[in-house]
Order: sequence, then structure tokens, then C-alpha cells
Amino acid sequence: MMRRANQRGHALIELAASAAVMVGCLAGTFQFGYTFYVYNQLVTAVGNGGRYAAMRTYRASAPSDIEKARAAIRNMVAYGDTRPAPGALPQVANLKPEQVQVEWVMDESGKPALVNVSIADYSVDAAFGMFRFTGKPAVEYPFVGRFAPSESEP
Amino acid sequence: MRVRRHNSEQGFVLIAMSVAMVLMLAVMGLAFDLGRIYIARNEAQVFTDAAAMAAASKLDGTDAGLVRARQAVGRLPMRWNLGTKAFSGVVVEFSADRQSWARVTAPDNQVEITFLRAIGGPAVFTVPAHSVAAAKPVRLVE
Repeated sequence: MMRRANQRGHALIELAASAAVMVGCLAGTFQFGYTFYVYNQLVTAVGNGGRYAAMRTYRASAPSDIEKARAAIRNMVAYGDTRPAPGALPQVANLKPEQVQVEWVMDESGKPALVNVSIADYSVDAAFGMFRFTGKPAVEYPFVGRFAPSESEP
Repeated sequence: MRVRRHNSEQGFVLIAMSVAMVLMLAVMGLAFDLGRIYIARNEAQVFTDAAAMAAASKLDGTDAGLVRARQAVGRLPMRWNLGTKAFSGVVVEFSADRQSWARVTAPDNQVEITFLRAIGGPAVFTVPAHSVAAAKPVRLVE
């Protein structure tokens, strides 16, 4: 079928206009969908790390014991394991233990009452854009573990 | 010059665009709305887990223990909806002996639906969560 001269190119222009809208919608959908997926993984990881931190024995015979405990909790959030094997993959893409913040809140007697676990600074690379999370997700658990200030971390 | 289309072609673009728009909204709804629903569900579950543990840790068989347990739940700073909304309507229940366990329910987490609503979905979706914690939990041995 022959088209008239003034019809030629219409289809191309229509395709270009609709493709721009469609690609924009799909890119946005992927960007938000993937970011939500990663954030959900972070919520789970931080929740599990917080629960572990709440039940873990608190040893503090030296400052290095607290740092060891902090490292174990950070590894639990990042890898799902306090002592990950070399080359272990993180639970959330590109999450590093250093990006996990762990703080104990002490009561008047110097015993831990609460433990806060949060993601200090993490960026989601969603191909078409970056989303940055600072201080979230965060959890606060009561400390219900054993308090052993005179013991050392193994 | 006016272009005449064949009778069977008239309205095709309108129908095609309508179908494409509904499909597009469905895909965007699945990614955006369902994503937010899952996050809210997860945030609520993590909150009730921590809240139940906080409440249970204060139980000692007395009424004062119940008051301290409710206060401990109220002090938790955790939020939902991507960490922006405070939990409301939180219900805290205890065992009859007031020292065995605590149960926390967060029933009112209503996620506002953006895209799925346009194709007949609900305006809000409620994602309740509840957790139970024992007053004397099993401790980790490491």
C-alpha cells in the first residue's frame, strides 16, 4: 500500500515520542523497584544484626573486646555470619561491614541497656540513578545478653 | 489534504494505547506499590520483634513491670514507610502471670497505593505485624 507524502515520517515521529515516554517509565520503574528491593534486604539484614547484637555476650576487659564485638555484629549484618569466609559475598550488593554502625546505650550502672544498629551510609546503584541511605534503616533492641565486663573476646 | 483511513483501522491506536497504559500502570504498580508494601511489612515485623523483646525484658510479675514494659515499647525510635512514619495503635499484651511473655502487635500500618489504585486496586493496603518474646530468652553461647 502506498502512503501519501505528508504521512511519511509520521510513524517515525510517533515511535520516537512514545518510545521516549515508555523508556522513561520503564527506567523509573526499574530504578524504584530495584531500590525498594535493596532497601528491603537492608531492613532484613539490620534487623537480624540487631537481634544478634541484643543477645550477644558483652565483654569489655579491654577496648579491643568492644571493637571485636562491633566487628562481629557488622559482619552479621553484612554477611549473615560473624566470621565470614574469605571472599564471602555480602547479603546486600556492595554492602561493607564499615557501612554498618553499632552503638550500645549504657544505663546508670554502666551495663548496656540498648543496642542500636543502623546503616551509616549506603548508596544503591540503580543503573539510571543513585539513591543514598544515611542512618537508615535503623533498629534499636534491648540488650538481653550476658553482661561479662571482665571477660575477653575469644 | 485529509487522509482517510480504512474503516477497520479507525480507533485502533486508541485501543492499543489504552491496553498499553493499563499494562504499564500494572507493571509500575507491581514494582512501586508492591515494593513499598513489602518494605512496610518487613519494617513492621522488625519493629514488633524488637518491641516484644523490649517489653518481655521488663517483666517481673508486677504491675510496675507491665508499666515499664509499655514504656520500653513506647521509647523505641523505629519507624516505617521507608523510616519516615511512627508506628501508631501499637498493642502490647502479656501472659496472665505477668512474667512469662509479651506480645506486641502493630496493626495500623496503612500503605497508600499509588499506581495499582488507577487500575482498580485498593487506596490503602494494611500490613499488620505481631511478635511474641519470652521474658527469659535463650542466650547465645559463643
